[in-house]
Amino acid sequence: MQVFNAFFKVLRSKLGLALIYIPVFIAMTIGLTFADNGGGVFEQERLNVCIFDEDATPLSSALCDFIGKRNDLVPLENDRDVIIDALYYGCVDYVLTIKSGYADKLSVGKTDELYESMRMHDTYSTVYMTQMLNEYANTVSAYIAGGNDAITAAGKAGEAMLKDAEVNTAKFDDNSGAVLTSTAALYFRFLVYALIGLTMSTLCPVLLAMSRKDIRYRTNCSGIRPNSYTLQILAGCVIYIIAIWAVFVAIGAVMNGGVFEGAQWIAVLNSFVFMLFTTMLTIFVSSFDPSINIINIITQVISIGMCFLSGVFIDQSMLGEGVLSAARFLPAYWYIRVNRMLEGSEPFDQNTLVLSIAIELGFAVVLAFMTLLIRRVRYGGMTVHKAQTSAACITE
Amino acid sequence: MFFHNLKYELLINLRAPALIAWLMIFPIFLGTVFKIGFGSIYETVDSFGSIPTAVVETKENEIFRSVVESVSEGDNKLLDVTFTDEENALRMLKDGDVKGIIYSGDKVTLTVVGKGIQETIIKSFIEQYNVYADIITDAVRNDPARAQDVIAALSADMTACREVPLTQGDPDHYAQYFYNLIAMVAIFGSVTGLHITETNQANMSALGARRNCSPTPKSASLTAALAGSFIAQAVCMTICVTFIQFALKIDFGERLPLVYAAAIIGGCLGVTMGFFIGSIGRLSSEVKNGIAMTVSMLCCFLSGLMVGNIKGLLAEKIPWFNNVNPVAIISDCFYCLNIYSDFDRFSFKMISMAVYIVVFTSLGIILSRGKKYASI
Repeated sequence: MQVFNAFFKVLRSKLGLALIYIPVFIAMTIGLTFADNGGGVFEQERLNVCIFDEDATPLSSALCDFIGKRNDLVPLENDRDVIIDALYYGCVDYVLTIKSGYADKLSVGKTDELYESMRMHDTYSTVYMTQMLNEYANTVSAYIAGGNDAITAAGKAGEAMLKDAEVNTAKFDDNSGAVLTSTAALYFRFLVYALIGLTMSTLCPVLLAMSRKDIRYRTNCSGIRPNSYTLQILAGCVIYIIAIWAVFVAIGAVMNGGVFEGAQWIAVLNSFVFMLFTTMLTIFVSSFDPSINIINIITQVISIGMCFLSGVFIDQSMLGEGVLSAARFLPAYWYIRVNRMLEGSEPFDQNTLVLSIAIELGFAVVLAFMTLLIRRVRYGGMTVHKAQTSAACITE
Repeated sequence: MFFHNLKYELLINLRAPALIAWLMIFPIFLGTVFKIGFGSIYETVDSFGSIPTAVVETKENEIFRSVVESVSEGDNKLLDVTFTDEENALRMLKDGDVKGIIYSGDKVTLTVVGKGIQETIIKSFIEQYNVYADIITDAVRNDPARAQDVIAALSADMTACREVPLTQGDPDHYAQYFYNLIAMVAIFGSVTGLHITETNQANMSALGARRNCSPTPKSASLTAALAGSFIAQAVCMTICVTFIQFALKIDFGERLPLVYAAAIIGGCLGVTMGFFIGSIGRLSSEVKNGIAMTVSMLCCFLSGLMVGNIKGLLAEKIPWFNNVNPVAIISDCFYCLNIYSDFDRFSFKMISMAVYIVVFTSLGIILSRGKKYASI
């Protein structure tokens, strides 16, 4: 247990570094959870619409009321740059200007260029709103042609256009349904990024310190077998990471609105297995003795790259088939599959669930074997033997 | 003396190129991942295209059929309609081949699997059909003399809404991930910036100890180290932008030289930030590295590298924040060059970067000035 004890001695000296990273990753995971608008699950479509009413008449107010009943009205500063930013970043879906003279034109049945919409590009939202506004103008105009005054016509048009069509929802999978709350599901989704980033950023410095040349040579001289050395390191890493994981799971319980119950524990199990994978990945990467700067860059490449490809930052439903096929070779993809089942985005299939978690575990086991092999080759005397041989050759 | 030191700074980067190489590899790898991941999402998910819809006629309804056919013709058709039986329609809905099934008979109803904007458009189409049918029926029943006028009003060309395009640039908001990626490479220049203090402080490296003993003025060795890091970072930024523009075909617009200029100045900002962090206190190299990485990551996160809409949210809630977040400033430069035709905002962002560079460099020099061998 000497290596195991030494591991924790080194870990204690590096705790300051961990304390820099842990709060940042917690803040980022919570931030990601609340910043995402849950694009993966369809909800009643209410667009964010900003209206500039230049006409300011009862008729234009009636139009604003009509739009506001099925959409959310968002106030914006009437500044071109502010409008462009809001449209580009999706804070607003549609910006409408009711032009001055709207009421006068509509009252006499004229419907051309009553309003202006500012747009970046033809999206479904802009097409939908433009079509609805055109139809509203025609409907008001038809009621006026039918003998109503403008105000009555606007009222009748609004009332008629707000009548809902009969919509039925087809259900093809009886066993689909959310197990986790949407906030908890998003939290567990973004946990992937935190687990990879945090494990690599905080564990690698400890492992690199343990494999520093002077310490390593001393260990090589001792009676500890390479496999025993690696297993003790591995055990230390797992215990340390379990402590960090427990903190994240506790926050997950808060996000869930209370202690996990029933099938919700699958999310905890899933994150535990994924954590084992990230631990193995960290030990594997640190086996190559990169510098701390390079470790930081590798961490970013792996965490951000895997998260984008596997559907952490962008929902799997939005990724193409080709991307998802490639992502099957990444454990985060299988983690997200389980999470999607728990959030109700995919049918709950026990076989797929078990298979997904088993694949994650498989990745961890493969990495563990590869690490054992690499450490055996690098630190287990083979290198020393090779060096001796080379030296012998030179002497000869 | 300055050029002598600069020469050796460049030689260090050439002879131990691991860090610089990784700074070059990482945007190439992540850029490729971004391109594979969502290179075509904007066209397939956001951009408008006709909505695939199945129509099941439970009872003959000639008027509805002709209305459906009229909206599923032409270049800008609203619906892409398939008339079929219920069994096939349900299979198509389950497989995702159609977004909804319209049942037409005495009453027109819709069946969907979820509620998104495409389903909402189909629903809106049915509602409008119902409204028009009701209005015409009422007019014919109550006032036949006005029925023709009513029908004419309903059939009028839909020109009430004039669309005003806001930009000639590429409105693909997924491009911001690439802008943020370049900004991330730039801010990761802080790693090379940290290296400057590491190799100039006697308590942090053997090289630092030797330099402190040498008669070279600290100002000369520091400025040479900064200049060397600027040059190395500029090379990284140039490779990064070139790869994203020419290999990944991400359109930065027609002002490419300014894109390079913004990226290089952004890289210098990253280097000076690292230099400043490295000069603070007597913390260990690892802790300084940790601070630089967490600050960089947090800035990248708040600029929208992980979730794109976060920058918009911050602009809404804390409008000043995007003007002080260095990563947001760098990525905004590319956004401004793409979206805006004038240079006002771009110039403001470039000046902000220049101010950051001056402030970080000055603070870094002030903080490391007094650190002689004896004072550490």
